[in-house]
Parts: sequence; structure tokens; C-alpha cells
Amino acid sequence: MNTMQQHSELEVPPVRRRVRGTTSIGLNLTSMIDVVFLLLVYFLVATDFTQSEEVYRLDLPERIDGLSIDPFELDDEPVRIIVQGIGGPDGDYRLQVEGAGAANLSNFESLYDFLAARRLDGLGGGFFATDHPLLVVPSPQTPWSYAVGAFNAAVRAGYVNISFEESTS
Amino acid sequence: MSSIFKRGPARPQANITPMIDVTFLLIVFFVLVSQIVDLENVDMELPAPDQAATRLPGDEPRAVVNVVPGVDGRISGYRLGSRRFDPSPAGLGQLRDALVDLYQATPVMRVNLRADRGTDYRWVAPVLQVVRQAAGLADVGLDGARLNLVVIREDA
Repeated sequence: MNTMQQHSELEVPPVRRRVRGTTSIGLNLTSMIDVVFLLLVYFLVATDFTQSEEVYRLDLPERIDGLSIDPFELDDEPVRIIVQGIGGPDGDYRLQVEGAGAANLSNFESLYDFLAARRLDGLGGGFFATDHPLLVVPSPQTPWSYAVGAFNAAVRAGYVNISFEESTS
Repeated sequence: MSSIFKRGPARPQANITPMIDVTFLLIVFFVLVSQIVDLENVDMELPAPDQAATRLPGDEPRAVVNVVPGVDGRISGYRLGSRRFDPSPAGLGQLRDALVDLYQATPVMRVNLRADRGTDYRWVAPVLQVVRQAAGLADVGLDGARLNLVVIREDA
């Protein structure tokens, strides 16, 4: 028996460790994820998404008694677009233009053609600059959609100085 | 024997923490957005002109004036943010005062005007007057009041 064997027999036996190992502490997230996804679906369904809203820019410069604020500027007589709605938003409407050769027009497309033809550098060789004032004059009972329709025709025709008649009396 | 085999087989696990973070952020986003939209926009049927020559709203500071629709082209009032005003001269005066306060705080503000397509023009025109008066009283400059007429672009 050599010296090494003698030494190993005299050693104290090692302490037995736990066979099962350490307990793993885990969090079951499945139920939380279920709830979170339910909440997400709920808000997606419940949210009232806005439709594609867009805007027309309408500047209202300060005026003194209806005149321009610049005392040296000659006032251009505005072209008046008179809109008269009949029978509510799904009814009919009448259009009349004053100040550019009086005309009764049947719809907004013909209003667009009329204004575009009278625009300077337009196809019709017109004489109104793009900043010539245009005034949309809806009657008091005219639905807002028809007033906006006339405004849209003027914007499409390339004019930039368009406003609404604010007095409805 | 290499050290790889001593460790035992690999256990694939998905780290779902970022997913939960993103999901919660989405929930918070939708909750906040839905509240903001409800506060600013009254439910109404906006005009939707054919071939609309509109533009997208910019990033400028804005106030939203809603002409709250009633029946038969009439209205039930005006709303600025969460404040409601009667469709009367007194109510319009209060609306003007509220707009003056906003203009004084933010002179470059734009006013978004939302009105139902069926609302009679006689209820919309006073808002134009009031906005112009408010801009004048707040002395926002010669450019005056800047409005956005809000419509729906159906072909967008």
C-alpha cells in the first residue's frame, strides 16, 4: 500500500449535497399577456378613428368698414358667388356669379370652369389675377356643404383671395 | 470532449419583456389619443366636396371650434375644446373672449372650424365674425385671423 492510498482512506467523507438542486422561481406571464392583448383589442375596436380630415386655409385680414387696410391700395370689386341651397344638404342649389359677367351656373363643376376661364393666364385668356378677391355669399339657409362646395371650386380654379360673406342679415 | 457538450443541450427561450413593454405603450397611446380626439372633435358629418383642393393640416398651434349640429340645419351650440357656448349673442361673446385669451397666449394660432354639412350657413357665419373680432382684439397683426375650414377628403 502506497502512501497515496493510505491518505485517501483516512480522509473524511464529503458532505452529501441535495440532489434536487435549487428551486427555480418563475413568473407565469401567460395570463397577463392574455389580459394585455384583450385590452389592446378593446381599445383598437373602441377607438373612433378620425377620417382623413383636411383643410382649406382661409385668412381673415383686418378690415375697416369693408375696405382694405392699405390706404394706398385700390380696392378691387370682388367677384360675388351667390349660393342658394334648397331642400337641405341632399337637396338642390343655385349658383350665380356677379362681377365677372353675370352668370347662372348649374353646378360646382361649371362654376370651376367659369372661374378658371376668367383667371389671368388661365386657358380662357381671362383678366382676373389669382389674388383678385372672390366673395362666397351663401344665403342664410344654405347648408354648409354647398358653401364649401363653392369655396372649393374657387380654390381649384387657382384663386387665393377667397372669403365668405359674414353678414347673413 | 469539448466543453460544449458538458453544459447539456441548449434550451431556447423567448424574451418577451420587450413585447410586453411595446404592448403597454400601445395601450397607453390609444387611451390618450382617443381622449384627445373626443375632447377636440364633436361627432358630425363634415362636408366632403368633390375633387377637394384641400391640404393637410400643418403643425401650427391650433384651436378647434366645433359648430355642434342640431336638427333641421339648426345647431345646439358651439364648442371650443371642452367648453360649450350657447348659440346666442351672449354665447358668441363668451366664445370671442375665450378666443382672445388663446390668441394672446399664442398669436400664431390657427382656428380649425368644424361644421356639419347640413348646418345652415346662418349659424356658421357668426363664428367667422367672432374669430376675426378676437384676432383684432388680441392684436395679432395685420394678417389677421387664420382659419382652417375642416372637411373630409374622401378620395384621399
